[in-house]
Amino acid sequence: MHGKDVELQGVSMVFGDVVAVAPTDLTIRAGEFFSILGPSGCGKTTILRMISGFLTPSAGRILIGGEDMGDIGPNRRPTALIFQNLALFPLMSVWENIAFGLEARGMPKKARRERAMELIDLVALRGHEEKRTGDLSGGQRQRVAIARALAVEPAVLLLDEPLSALDAKLRQHMRAELKAIQRKTGVTFIYITHDQGEALTMSDRIAVMNKGAVEQVAASDRLYDDPQTPFVATFVGEQNVFAGRVIEAEAGFALLDTPFGPLRGRNRDGLAAGASAVLCVRPERMQLVNGALPDNVISADVERRDLEGPFVNLFLKRNEESIVLHLPNRGAAGRELSGEQQIGFSADDGLVLTSGRLARD
Amino acid sequence: MTELVRSYGRPLTAIFIGLTTLWILGMILVPQLFMAERSFWVEEKPNDISLKIDRAYADLSTMKFDLARAEGPGKDEIAGRIEAKKREIAGLEEQEKQPRKVYTMRNYTRMSALHFQIFLRTIFYAAMVTVLALVVCYPVAYAIAQVATPRRAAFLMLGLIIPYAINELLRVYAWLMILDYQGVLNTMLDWIGVTDLATQQWIPFLQSPGAVFVAMVYAYILFMVFPIYNTLETLDKNQVEAARDLGASTWRIHWRVVIPYAKPGMAVGCIMTFMLSAGSYSVPQIMTRGTSGDWFSQTIYRQFFESNNWNNGAAYAFTLLIVCTLFIFLMMLVFRVGVRDIAR
Ligand SMILES: Nc1ncnc2c1ncn2[C@@H]1O[C@H](COP(=O)(O)OP(=O)(O)OP(=O)(O)O)[C@@H](O)[C@H]1O
Ligand SMILES: [Mg+2]
Repeated sequence: MHGKDVELQGVSMVFGDVVAVAPTDLTIRAGEFFSILGPSGCGKTTILRMISGFLTPSAGRILIGGEDMGDIGPNRRPTALIFQNLALFPLMSVWENIAFGLEARGMPKKARRERAMELIDLVALRGHEEKRTGDLSGGQRQRVAIARALAVEPAVLLLDEPLSALDAKLRQHMRAELKAIQRKTGVTFIYITHDQGEALTMSDRIAVMNKGAVEQVAASDRLYDDPQTPFVATFVGEQNVFAGRVIEAEAGFALLDTPFGPLRGRNRDGLAAGASAVLCVRPERMQLVNGALPDNVISADVERRDLEGPFVNLFLKRNEESIVLHLPNRGAAGRELSGEQQIGFSADDGLVLTSGRLARD
Repeated sequence: MTELVRSYGRPLTAIFIGLTTLWILGMILVPQLFMAERSFWVEEKPNDISLKIDRAYADLSTMKFDLARAEGPGKDEIAGRIEAKKREIAGLEEQEKQPRKVYTMRNYTRMSALHFQIFLRTIFYAAMVTVLALVVCYPVAYAIAQVATPRRAAFLMLGLIIPYAINELLRVYAWLMILDYQGVLNTMLDWIGVTDLATQQWIPFLQSPGAVFVAMVYAYILFMVFPIYNTLETLDKNQVEAARDLGASTWRIHWRVVIPYAKPGMAVGCIMTFMLSAGSYSVPQIMTRGTSGDWFSQTIYRQFFESNNWNNGAAYAFTLLIVCTLFIFLMMLVFRVGVRDIAR
């Protein structure tokens, strides 16, 4: 099997007066694990259905392996879709489900079964081949769906939130399996999710969507550390956001006038004095100040301390504005924290962005 | 039972159970039992009874003659014998008026060759109507349940239901008018020049069993469409798309995914259509203008109301019922569905 690249050229989708997908250009490389991340209703499924051929774009072209898919129906595209609800065939056995695509291609029963058994081994379902899909556990059903899609040797595998129905442990496990299968087969994976942890751990690159538009396409690290818009910054991971106006800008940094006083961060967008902006700081990049003062120092009152396990969420408040810190869990040492505290962060860890819509609005 | 009492309380439970029992008794058991019982006996007049009565009258007149001659104590004795004879005659006459019930299988075994032929033909025709209705209704039900937009589906549904607001007889008469010798269809064919009504060159649609078929399929189409529609409604559209995505042709999608799913609905539809058409009286009566005795239900009707042989009629009706019941099991076997699936 070999992955093919997928190219969206100015693709958009309009339902009545709802713009589900705004004109979008996107290039997904062959053999890549590409995720599309976005909140519910942002148009992820719609994009996937256009690539698989079930929806015809209102405008634009879709190319797979350089070939225009305009006149090619879903049953003749080199894609296979794993549905949000899996859509297994309940009246067929596991192996018949997996072999269905081969049956449709006219492969004789014996060959079909052999191939299905290979795939059953690939997804570790040996011993379940004669069961009805309804008698399987969630994770097993998941794997049947993957095997069924892989059976037709697609160049592009489209996965629509395939893990959303599983519990956290199993999800973790299936992530690893999916990633392993992707590496083994070399198929291009286009993976849809609204779970940013899932996207960050598995993907080579991620596209973040908001309200039908792709806001940023980047590798996990870049997406996390260098978000381009306030939406991406706040949708991927947690952020402390300080809104304000730029007081001065110099040498790649900007000083912002915020409710917590002037704060400095990286001025990646090159904003000039007077511009309205937001300063984003990750909770784990802030520390309690003891000893040397960092670039930015804020004082606030401890409100609550939540234990997450490996780290602690420390909530602080000042003038109705709240701040959250992720502190490493050092046992008894941090338990008695209360009252006013000095917290700080380095200007390198603050990111100044043109103000815009946040994920939580 | 205890669960019912717990959820609804005693009085309501009593009402539920009372009504259910009444329904089972009144609608199912009593009529069928009455019919079954009736089919197992014939009325028999003992054939020597009139002879016995005649002889008794002769005896009586002899005794009366003897009485006139007799004297002394013998006279009273003869008078007593006369009274006894009179009672015997009254008893015999009563018997003659009320024939004896004789339990027998005769009603079943005595079916004439002609009636048996009609019976077989009816079963065959009803099966044909069922197949025809299935072939017509499956695509319709699929279209409404899966393909059409909700608006259009509602429209189609309405189009199917509205004719059923009209009396069944009128609906059948409408088909009579369409297929009649000088009916709508022949008139239209006349326009294109296929037939010529002026010279009485028309196509005698009504003389073919097809006319009855068409009218019956039309009359019972809803009973086939609805069960299939109901099951297909619950079919996940994604399954159809998944099959297509995996490269299946439309034919294969239906054969492997949609039809297996629709089986319980199809079984119910087939059972209803078969029962209704096997037992249909008005459709064959109207479509053949009562001239042909082609349908078994017409034969049954005649047994009851023309030959006045209710026992025989009951046996015929009961035979039909048994065949229909067998058909239910056959359908369950063919579609590999259980009672539970059908009740769903
Ligand atoms: N067939 C349709 N007709 C009209 N509107 C539609 C149709 N399909 C999708 N939409 C709309 O398009 C928008 C995007 O839908 P889509 O299913 O792509 O969202 P999504 O990102 O997959 O969401 P989720 O994470 O909840 O699955 C939604 O506002 C939805 O209501
Ligand atoms: Mg979706």
